[in-house]
Amino acid sequence: MESNGVGDVVLAARDGDDGAWRRLVERFSGLVWSVARGYRLGDADAGDVFQTTWLRLAENLNRLENPERVGAWLATTARREALRVVRTDARRVPFGDPAGMEHLLIDPDTPERIFLDLEQVSLDTDRDKAMWAAFEGLSGRCRELLRVLMATPPPSYVEVAGALNLPIGSIGPTRRRCLDRLRLMLSDRGITGGERYS
Amino acid sequence: MTTEGSPIDERDEPGQLDELVDAAGDAMAGDPLGEQLRRIAATVDPVPDHLLQLARESFTWRSIDAELAELAFDSVVDSERAVQVRGGGEPRLLTFAAGELTVEVEIIRVGSGCELVGQLVPPRPAAITVRHRSGTAEVTADDLGRFLVGEVATGPMSLRLRSTGGAAVVTDWVSI
Repeated sequence: MESNGVGDVVLAARDGDDGAWRRLVERFSGLVWSVARGYRLGDADAGDVFQTTWLRLAENLNRLENPERVGAWLATTARREALRVVRTDARRVPFGDPAGMEHLLIDPDTPERIFLDLEQVSLDTDRDKAMWAAFEGLSGRCRELLRVLMATPPPSYVEVAGALNLPIGSIGPTRRRCLDRLRLMLSDRGITGGERYS
Repeated sequence: MTTEGSPIDERDEPGQLDELVDAAGDAMAGDPLGEQLRRIAATVDPVPDHLLQLARESFTWRSIDAELAELAFDSVVDSERAVQVRGGGEPRLLTFAAGELTVEVEIIRVGSGCELVGQLVPPRPAAITVRHRSGTAEVTADDLGRFLVGEVATGPMSLRLRSTGGAAVVTDWVSI
């Protein structure tokens, strides 16, 4: 869905077209979910963030200033809701970091636990599991960025910027740095398949 | 590269590491390692089907003829010293604003749910529908604009208010 196309779909939804709304859900649900998971929310909390974000869009359809940027709007809304939920969850600890680098406790239902429990999931293996485990071992900011970048369909720079509150121009360099860090971890663990493309 | 109208305009500061990009382009830029991770994520952590269904149904919650009261203040993110809110401790305060009307809501955790203590400013009576995960609840704000409702499920929450002679107002959905 090109950006012009997205704007038209939003306008159609604004006019009451349920099919247009469903196309928005299909196009951007991966992004909204990846934002919630990027902030390491467990199943229940991530579900709240996801549901609240979509309900908000339904009520704000008429107020969007830039319908073609609805993806970035959803990502920003999901980020703010995730931070809200993090701070109200009784399992979290108090924080005061002005840069927003909250120290998060790992919820027992995070994808890592889910991943390791799903022995029957047909992944290409041990290598995929090791790759995911290495990703889970990354520091907070890299983990947040890469988890959002992993959304399906692939998010745009504008959407990633909204999801993480980063300047657009810093996304590419930060992504490269984080992936290089991951490559190093993979090679330290003897895992192949992380080569940089030429 | 301009990002006019984007919600992140104010934070788009140029820096040494910045580069010009196609803002609408794929932010992973086709990196093979990134593509592998994306494939794995889609397998181990896809969006749950029940949530997709809820997202589709969100469209039916849309209020066509109501004014939206935006979230203007949330004590868990807007107070000077951000603290964790535990069940039974300091209540959380939300403020929603639509023109002259302000809706203040105190949220008190009780057991696995919440009690809402509300105040309309300026004070006025109103019929209120509390929309939450487990359905809806009806409550009335008295002549002083006060209302109280218990057993509100945690998760997404929105109020719909109707006062005599005024347009309907709905508050922005918030996770409580």
